[in-house]
Amino acid sequence: MDIATYYDDISQCNKCGFCQVACPIFRSTGHESGVARGRLALLRAIIEGRLEWGADIEEPLFDCLLCGACTANCFPAIPTADLVLKARSEYLEKVGRKSIHRLLFDHLLPYPRRLHWAARAVALGKNSGLSDVAQALGLLRIFGRNLPKANEIVERFPHRAFRDTNKPGVYAGRGRSLRVGYFVGCGVDVITQDAGNATLQLLNKIAKEVHILDNCCCGLPAWSYGDMEAAQRLAEKNLSALASREVDVIVTDCSSCASFLKKYANLFPPGHRLHDNAVFVAGRVRDMVALLFDNQPHTAVRKDPLTVTYHDPCHAARGQGIVREPREILKSLPGINYKELPEADWCCGGAGSYAVAHHELSRKVLDRKMDNLKTTGADILVTSCPACVIQLSFGVRRHGLNTQVRHISQLIS
Amino acid sequence: MITDLLIEKLRGIVGKSHVLAGRAGTELYSYDASLAWGQPGIVVFPADTPAAAAIVSAASQAGVACVPRGFGTNLSGGTVLPEGIIICLSRFNRILGIYPKSRHAVVQPGVTNLELQTALAPLNFFYAPDPASQKVSTLGGNIGENSGGPRCLKYGVTTNHVLGLEMILPDGEIIRTGGAALDPPGYDLRGAIIGSEGTLGIVTEITVRILPAHAAIVTMLAIYDDIGAAARSVSAIIGAGIVPTTLEMMDAPIIQAVEDSYACGYPRDAAAVLIIEVEGPAAGLEHQAQNIRELCMQNNCREINAAKNDAERNRLWEGRRGAFGAVARLAPSYLVNDCSVSRTKLPEALARVTEISERYEIPHGNVFHAGDGNLHPLLLFDSRDAEQMKRVKKAGWEIMEACVQLGGTISGEHGIGVEKLAAMHMIFSREDLDFQQGLKDAFDPCNLLNPGKVIPAPGPDDRKKAELSKTGGHGAAVTALIQTIQSAGIEKQVLLPVGNGSRREFGNLSSEMPFPLGSSGLDDIIEYDPSNQVVTIGSGLSLEKLQDELQVHNQWLPLRPPFATLAHSLGGLAATAACGPERMVYGSVRDLMLGLRFINGRGQLITAGGRVVKNVAGYDITRLMVGSAGTLGMITEMTLKVATLPERCCALTAQGSLDTLAGAAARIIESNLWPACIVAVPVEPQEADYWEISIGFEGIGKSVESQVEQANRLLQEKSMQSIGVQDYDPINGRFNEQYQVLDGFDFLLRANVPIDQLVDLFVAGQPSLPLHYPFLDLGNGRALLGLEKFANADWLNFADLSAERAGHAFLEKAPVEFKKENDVFGRPRPEWGIMHRLKNVLDPGHIFDPGGLPGKA
Ligand SMILES: Cc1cc2nc3c(=O)[nH]c(=O)nc-3n(C[C@H](O)[C@H](O)[C@H](O)COP(=O)(O)OP(=O)(O)OC[C@H]3O[C@@H](n4cnc5c(N)ncnc54)[C@H](O)[C@@H]3O)c2cc1C
Ligand code: SF4
Ligand code: SF4
Repeated sequence: MDIATYYDDISQCNKCGFCQVACPIFRSTGHESGVARGRLALLRAIIEGRLEWGADIEEPLFDCLLCGACTANCFPAIPTADLVLKARSEYLEKVGRKSIHRLLFDHLLPYPRRLHWAARAVALGKNSGLSDVAQALGLLRIFGRNLPKANEIVERFPHRAFRDTNKPGVYAGRGRSLRVGYFVGCGVDVITQDAGNATLQLLNKIAKEVHILDNCCCGLPAWSYGDMEAAQRLAEKNLSALASREVDVIVTDCSSCASFLKKYANLFPPGHRLHDNAVFVAGRVRDMVALLFDNQPHTAVRKDPLTVTYHDPCHAARGQGIVREPREILKSLPGINYKELPEADWCCGGAGSYAVAHHELSRKVLDRKMDNLKTTGADILVTSCPACVIQLSFGVRRHGLNTQVRHISQLIS
Repeated sequence: MITDLLIEKLRGIVGKSHVLAGRAGTELYSYDASLAWGQPGIVVFPADTPAAAAIVSAASQAGVACVPRGFGTNLSGGTVLPEGIIICLSRFNRILGIYPKSRHAVVQPGVTNLELQTALAPLNFFYAPDPASQKVSTLGGNIGENSGGPRCLKYGVTTNHVLGLEMILPDGEIIRTGGAALDPPGYDLRGAIIGSEGTLGIVTEITVRILPAHAAIVTMLAIYDDIGAAARSVSAIIGAGIVPTTLEMMDAPIIQAVEDSYACGYPRDAAAVLIIEVEGPAAGLEHQAQNIRELCMQNNCREINAAKNDAERNRLWEGRRGAFGAVARLAPSYLVNDCSVSRTKLPEALARVTEISERYEIPHGNVFHAGDGNLHPLLLFDSRDAEQMKRVKKAGWEIMEACVQLGGTISGEHGIGVEKLAAMHMIFSREDLDFQQGLKDAFDPCNLLNPGKVIPAPGPDDRKKAELSKTGGHGAAVTALIQTIQSAGIEKQVLLPVGNGSRREFGNLSSEMPFPLGSSGLDDIIEYDPSNQVVTIGSGLSLEKLQDELQVHNQWLPLRPPFATLAHSLGGLAATAACGPERMVYGSVRDLMLGLRFINGRGQLITAGGRVVKNVAGYDITRLMVGSAGTLGMITEMTLKVATLPERCCALTAQGSLDTLAGAAARIIESNLWPACIVAVPVEPQEADYWEISIGFEGIGKSVESQVEQANRLLQEKSMQSIGVQDYDPINGRFNEQYQVLDGFDFLLRANVPIDQLVDLFVAGQPSLPLHYPFLDLGNGRALLGLEKFANADWLNFADLSAERAGHAFLEKAPVEFKKENDVFGRPRPEWGIMHRLKNVLDPGHIFDPGGLPGKA
């Protein structure tokens, strides 16, 4: 459906400007192009015929982090992120997809092994013929914009993927009854394997059976890019891996994946052959944070107390409404002094998956995060999304801070 | 025209990525929060003053118009500039310094109001103006519109809290006006700039006053079944002499829209609610809240409840601040009207609004600053429907007419921009508008800064005002003055307005013998509305007579000018902007003046401002005239805000060395006490370093009592003992004896520096201050020094010492011989240039003596 269908929604914007306060992009750039009011104005101009689909709206459309902060501050609650997505889709149709997008969405993301292989080859810089692949992977925030220089972002590029040592299959745990399916996100698989290992350890404590699922990318990067078809293809592939009735719950330690998996039903509207299946799967998905909140394992008491703070991933806070749980978990841990991070729910600029086209922009957003972090004086910054972990670790290094960045699973185990 | 060359030049100044020229880029800057639309040619984002100045110079050389823009949330089309250059100040986003010791902060204009508040909160300070848009409106934008907010009922609007500005003139020159030191000599340029909607200069740095947070706060929600009853409660509260911090009203459609978006706890079945907040020292606050409750209940309030905690309080406010946005649930577009009427006329005004909205079949909702009489009817419609749009515009127009007929004005805080341009004719005559145009011409002779805003071009509508307002007439005395001024114009006779003649020695000597222009026939009280706390008087009226009249209603003009005996004419006080140390709580003349009339050099009677407490229609000629020392015209009439007489005035005194006293004063200034004055004078002049400090508190008995106690404790912390607690007379104040001593000297020196530098200046200046009597106003950073002799070199030295401390010195009084060789305003300053330009444009016949203007003419 083209964007004109949403004229009523778009016209609801009365230009009050209140969305400016929360939009991380606007706060970093001060540019009207980076805020809901501006994005909606452009869409309205297109509908009203003052503006045409063209390269000059690419940035305003694709810079949006889809974080939803604007809607939370907008009294008419205009769903800007959704509208932007629709517009992206139409933009791709009218202006065209780039070949690197096809490469990423159609040839790399569906195949975890290929993804890992490609990433490592590019990171090692062995083959200069890989520049297309590098660019494509650069679209994935987890690698940073410019993969050949990714050592800036990815401290230590692991030689093996998480999946190389943790093959799909059923593993016995020490828990009493719960059967958990573990959905391994791309970030965990390729980069933040420590988080994955910690999660696995915890799941072993909590669950009776741990099923490491044979999934591929959840599809969020394609969806955020406005490529519905690619997102559907990835989702379809996952549905068959996730539909097993042998598990009670599907858990992932990536809040972005969790929030997107929960939305699978939207990808296949009622009447679609996969709709029922999607509803079934979506209904069983839980964010690791929520699981931990309900089944908190005991942890050893620390000798020297640590100051800990928490960053809300967009896909946890606004995507799934998970705000209270991680804080309560952290506050309940012995030997931990919890300190709230100012603007904790501001996007870190990592934006989960595909996002910020401008490296500079994402840095500005990150710098603001780091300034806030400095005021807490925290020893550890905790979060629940691998993409945030990667982005925040990069920030901490860039700002020369001693704070360590950890996934919440790591802190508990 | 915007040429490629100009674009290249701008790119060279700010860098390529900070210039937007494409179709999409400029589309993004074609609107603000109003209904106006117009696509600019380019948008540039400078990051510092030199870059911004270079842009302005380049634009001015190319003859291209430009406009400064904050966050584009103004509601009058103020930042819409078809084909021009938008200078977006979002990169000016740093708070440069916060100085609790001198109660000021320095910020860049792109900082939002809320960012400043957030930075101040941990220090227990706040910045008073709080527009509902505070989280998304910049301080530069607040200055552009002279923004108000809920709290402004008690504290006044932006112009009452901005102390100084750095700005770029339309030709690229950078000047500074004012700063942390109060009352810089010359015209109140900052007063003229504030509310000028980006048409006179681009502000690049702002010095604001900050105030200590109050110890306690009570927020109440009063619920009504009838909107008239709510409006009557507002009048009753103000009429009873209570000035709450806020008195905000919302009616049924707004309540429902807000509740639909966000559960704020407003009852959905109410016809109206008031949010009433009082703050102050805990003692006495509950009593005040109780009085308010009773007044509301007497006026048919259904119930009134106080917020139990911060969370509840924030929720109440969240709904109020989001109300404009929330109406988007009712219709895609709204036109917000911004009329302001006297508070006693609110019920009538609301009834007229309803009638008009029904007649045009345009639904509306009301959410507004009821305590200020500042209405905000929101007319709801769909901007995609051209026919509706027409009806809305007509309805909006009629609402403005109705309010003007009720004695009100067309804009209380949102500004004129382009949307209310035509309506300016309702309240100003062509002469009034031409005088305002003169201000614009002096600043911007080529009309390149935000052209087409604020002042409508001459046309057939020029007669509109006479049709609408009944207050056009004037008496014989004014007619006589007009004639005198006109014939002086023909005879080239220079005139000097002198009030009742008691303070003629103000300013420099001028070359010619000016003819004194007295105001003796103008000594009547023209209109006094006690329940609205506003009085309009002739400028020849003496302070004494006014106070007598006001006291009958337990009110007064909260002003105790030094030296001016009560016999002094109010016109003279206004022209010299005289005020005493009690301005700490009451403000100075400029803060009390709502409007005035004066005769200009052409012999035209000009009206400035109005009779309502909030008014941003047109340039702020009122502030320009206050302190203009008779150089621009003869003030004939003024409208002033009056106040309830304080129940009690009481001073705590202590003695010690100047250093100890200064330490005590600093401690009190940083505390959350609200003293009316802090003054130090020597116990024995010319003796050893032994001084007496008086810390005055005024207001409700209980609150005064508890503050005196707390102040006493703070003194003890500094190991000082108070030597007494003394009540004093509210009208005369406490310092008349000292003023008399000062007045006996041949030289009277007045120096202002940032509050915390005063003692330092005084000590540094000692050697060049032969035998003198000092009066140190520690609460305002002002020294008044009586001197018998003053050598030229010593004077300049002292002026330099003041300037080194970001202040200034001025001789209120000096012998003629001395004046022949010196400028009583000190060394020339760059901003005096524009003052002289103003004088030339606004008084082209040079009718008024220029001696009151700094910089020897
Ligand atoms: C929902 C909503 C609620 C509002 N509530 C209030 C309220 O309670 N009280 C109130 O007074 N207003 C209110 N407003 C109006 C608006 O927010 C104010 O006028 C605000 O001050 C504008 O700030 P801005 O940064 O958006 O300025 P802009 O809209 O960008 O500019 C406003 C004007 O100031 C000029 N200007 C901007 N920066 C500078 C500068 N550096 N130097 C010189 N001129 C400059 C511009 O040229 C323009 O004329 C509200 C608006 C909305 C949408
Ligand atoms: S807050 Fe909502 S209505 Fe207001 S400008 Fe932003 S998107 Fe538009
Ligand atoms: S979704 Fe986030 S980035 Fe996009 S406009 Fe809204 S607040 Fe800004």
